[in-house]
Amino acid sequence: MNRLISMDSLRNCLEGVVPSGIATSSPDGTPNVTYISQLMYVDQDHVALSFQFFNKTRENILANPQATVLMMDPDTAARYRITIRYLRTETSGALFERMKAKLAGIASQTGMTGVFRLLGADIYRVLAIEALPGRELPPAEIGPALLPALRRSVDALRECRSLDGLIDTFGSCLERHFALDHQMLLMVDEGGQRLYIVASRGYASSGAGAEIPVGVGVIGVAARERTPIRIIFPAAEYAYGRAIREQIEKGELADELETEIPLPGLAEPSSQLAVPILAGERLMAVLYIESDQQCRFGYDLEDALVALCAQVGFAMCALQSTTGEEGAAPAAPAAVGQGAALRVRHFGRDNSVFLDDEYLIKGVAGAILWKLLREHADSGRSEFSNRELRLDLGLKLPELCDNLDARLILLSRRLADRCEHLRIEKTGRGRFRLALARPVVLEGEG
Amino acid sequence: MTSPLNPALAAFLTSHISIHFAATGTNGMATLVRGLGCRIAPEAPTRLRLLVSRPQAEPVLRAIEETGRIAAVFNEPESHRTVQLKGIDARLESVDQCDQAIHGPYVDEMSRRLKVFDTPEPLVRTLLACAPGEFAVVSFTPQELFGQTPGPQAGARLPAGTGAP
Repeated sequence: MNRLISMDSLRNCLEGVVPSGIATSSPDGTPNVTYISQLMYVDQDHVALSFQFFNKTRENILANPQATVLMMDPDTAARYRITIRYLRTETSGALFERMKAKLAGIASQTGMTGVFRLLGADIYRVLAIEALPGRELPPAEIGPALLPALRRSVDALRECRSLDGLIDTFGSCLERHFALDHQMLLMVDEGGQRLYIVASRGYASSGAGAEIPVGVGVIGVAARERTPIRIIFPAAEYAYGRAIREQIEKGELADELETEIPLPGLAEPSSQLAVPILAGERLMAVLYIESDQQCRFGYDLEDALVALCAQVGFAMCALQSTTGEEGAAPAAPAAVGQGAALRVRHFGRDNSVFLDDEYLIKGVAGAILWKLLREHADSGRSEFSNRELRLDLGLKLPELCDNLDARLILLSRRLADRCEHLRIEKTGRGRFRLALARPVVLEGEG
Repeated sequence: MTSPLNPALAAFLTSHISIHFAATGTNGMATLVRGLGCRIAPEAPTRLRLLVSRPQAEPVLRAIEETGRIAAVFNEPESHRTVQLKGIDARLESVDQCDQAIHGPYVDEMSRRLKVFDTPEPLVRTLLACAPGEFAVVSFTPQELFGQTPGPQAGARLPAGTGAP
């Protein structure tokens, strides 16, 4: 193989912007040539082809596994002939799901939605790469230089001492260093079945508290398969808004899923990338970015964000389990504002909370808020510590222990979105204050 | 054998659409190159003449000289209509004025067709560029015709006399 060129530097040719051609030969020496809708980068020595129909190409490679692909760089028009050898077919798993999502984007881009259905990802070893002579255009420079952006972000994240600080810094790094305008960070819920938005940037509403089932849409599939999912053309079937609507219509999860809080997000994104955030084997969260520009997110950006998310995952894990040097919280008298009382209703069945008859939140975050308001009503306290909350709620919701900090952040952001009279303010490491601008009346039901 | 090259199909193949062709050498391996135009000479109406960049086509031309076995796929980008033709008598031809004359119109028409996909014109012109002294021409008699329009029917053999896909 020509060691000066490797598949690592030719990934741009594999985006599906321009279809590649493939030549195979039957055992009797009859050539066959056709277009391939998707050729995907696997690693520097392997590519995958989409297997959608049993056709002559497939018949040939099963009998004579060597094939030649002609591909082109969509920016420079540079052409490469690669010799590949068929190894195996994968019909499930991370690579299969990545290919399936990407194929949906390509199908939509080429007007082939409904025609393409992935049966398998055929894995090939790359035996040789030949750069064809001929005219080329200069390479395109899109977006900021990624390694400096990654370095600056890694440096900034290392300074974070709390989970909410980490979440804010991560978001601002993506915005400032990577020029990513639309982003969401979703944490995994306690049961591992859902993801909830804890922070977002670039939307009219933060959507904090909105939920997505694991396995649904780009974000849900990235979470289930623990693999990045990147689509660089519009792909309606992967838009999470639609995917979740369909899921709800089918009745699955309908009772459990947070459906009152609308998902933020572009109505018809042209590029999407979801990157799972892992700490070792444990899935912590998913980063989702989107753009209304086609081909906005390349392989290199995906690599940079996977590297960055690896650091974020371990930092999340470390900061969530930090109990801090808190001691007992002082029973400070509550400073309650004046005015008409805010009516807070709580329904024990699903821990949903309504403020003056307007829905706020349900589930774990609802239980936390109710607990704080009850404590405040009983003792007048407004200062709390994460630790006491963890110890207290932990008795009733043992699965919450690891997730309490994230749930508190979500609750404080949801309150900031929905209610100017009720706030959760951070007062120090592992400490926060319940700030009431109006008196409250509590009504517990069920 | 009846030539599948009826007038409707001939018109489709020479309407300046995307072309790739492949050949199998004596080693049993197939290789391919992009075509830069197609015409049918009046004096040989059963043969297709495929224009190509000789430096880019080098291994394909070698395979053709070895075995004469060829497969060529023609695709109209904006409609996805695609056919593949196969032959066993492929050979290198000397390039004449009429062959070279189709290259300009071919590039112009491909640039226009690919605008549907927002493909920038300079990219198409770069992709299809070829210096005047570097053309080669391969000719062959199509013997078999296959529908190749994407979908479950792709690859089905089409009877002789089938028009444009």
